[in-house]
Amino acid sequence: MNRHPLHLAALVILLLPIFALATGCNGKKSQAARDFAPKTEAAAQAEPTAAPADPAEPGDAQAEDGETLSEPVNDPLYGWNRFWFTFNDYFYTGIRPVVQGYRYVVPEFARTGMKNVYDNFTFPVRFLNALLQLNLTKAAREFGRFMINSTFGVGGFFDLAKSDPNLQPGNEDFGQTLGYYGMGEGFYIVWPLLGPSSARDSVGLAGDIAANPLTWIFGLWDYKGQDQTWYLSYAISAGNRFNRLPEYLDDYESMKKSALEPYVSMRDFYIQYRRGRIAQ
Amino acid sequence: MIRDFKRLAILVAALLLFPATALAESPKETLQRSVDQVILLLQDPAYKDAATKPAMREKLIKTIQGIFNAKELSRRALATNWDKFSPAQQERFSNSFMTLLQNTYLDRIEGYTDEKVNYLAEKMLAADRAEIPTIVTSKGRNIPITYRMLNADGWYVYDVIIEGVSLVQNYRNQFTQILMKESPDTLIDMISKKS
Repeated sequence: MNRHPLHLAALVILLLPIFALATGCNGKKSQAARDFAPKTEAAAQAEPTAAPADPAEPGDAQAEDGETLSEPVNDPLYGWNRFWFTFNDYFYTGIRPVVQGYRYVVPEFARTGMKNVYDNFTFPVRFLNALLQLNLTKAAREFGRFMINSTFGVGGFFDLAKSDPNLQPGNEDFGQTLGYYGMGEGFYIVWPLLGPSSARDSVGLAGDIAANPLTWIFGLWDYKGQDQTWYLSYAISAGNRFNRLPEYLDDYESMKKSALEPYVSMRDFYIQYRRGRIAQ
Repeated sequence: MIRDFKRLAILVAALLLFPATALAESPKETLQRSVDQVILLLQDPAYKDAATKPAMREKLIKTIQGIFNAKELSRRALATNWDKFSPAQQERFSNSFMTLLQNTYLDRIEGYTDEKVNYLAEKMLAADRAEIPTIVTSKGRNIPITYRMLNADGWYVYDVIIEGVSLVQNYRNQFTQILMKESPDTLIDMISKKS
């Protein structure tokens, strides 16, 4: 029981670069080359919001860059994406009453507490990624948060560490780590139920799953017919996702309300947000 | 709180002692004045009251209008398409887009009625352009909101970046997509209907 998830994680980690290469070579060559160009340049050009403004740079050029060079998002799977975007939209609009009921029944502090426990439990993912990005400050912060919240915060239910400005929550993941090492988004992709992502962040997601303690404890699938509780990995992750839905749906509704083209708006939100995270 | 008071006192003293500095207000001060006013209005109990809410919302819009530069915002949101609009269309676009943007901005910050805004050091992008990062703390969450400002007889906001997402860029992508198929007039109608 203890042995197989280890193999699995090793397998996923081994597969990572292969998948990364595959996604890199799939697109048109020029596009791929451009997307996987060193992050600093691409990000600074396409995303002036995220790039720290360089005071030495002529302001006008910088300001105009945002307009002229705003790189269009690579969206070759437009048909697939549009379909799943619509599907997800129906799905989340459909379960909205359930989510509202949940919000009504479970008080906010309890929902926040459950989120905190989950986040605390998945601390290794963020810690590992901070280390991989050679950011010792962030790694130390994650470690400190984990120690304080696990003990005085009753297993992470209370985020006590947050009251310290130096121990603010972070959210490093493998997608950001890949971005840190210069990998571009590749292309935009919408997954069923999971929503917006990119080629890079999908690869990152596999890494996050491999590093998630849930995977190590419960595994991901039935292994050689042994008696296991592999489905708990999915159940707990899905439960955490559901727990966050009230807040997520609020954001989603306000995005939809303000957008003329919700699909384009969502895509841009996602890409801009992720580029911003990586630039940090 | 006390620090804010001190800062305010120093500011007032500075304004009284040096009238010249009052004329050349820094972008941060201009922004702070408006944003603080917006938050004050949002926190006003009268805003929670359904009867007085429309009047309060109007006040809010007025405050925001005072700080947003409609023309610059519109020009940026349309990018190269701006030149394809006739002056009359530009005017109509400006008006409807401003309403939409103000509502979007208000909707986004309305949720943070207990908010505390922390103004970070401004960065000058050019002699007449500045970027003012702020951190809004609400319900224990820190939300970074950055304002880009332009000096045109006083400082005006031309972009708001919430959690790394530029509102203007977000609209620009939508407008570009729509204008590939539709006429400027249709776009203006679509915006008017939305806001």
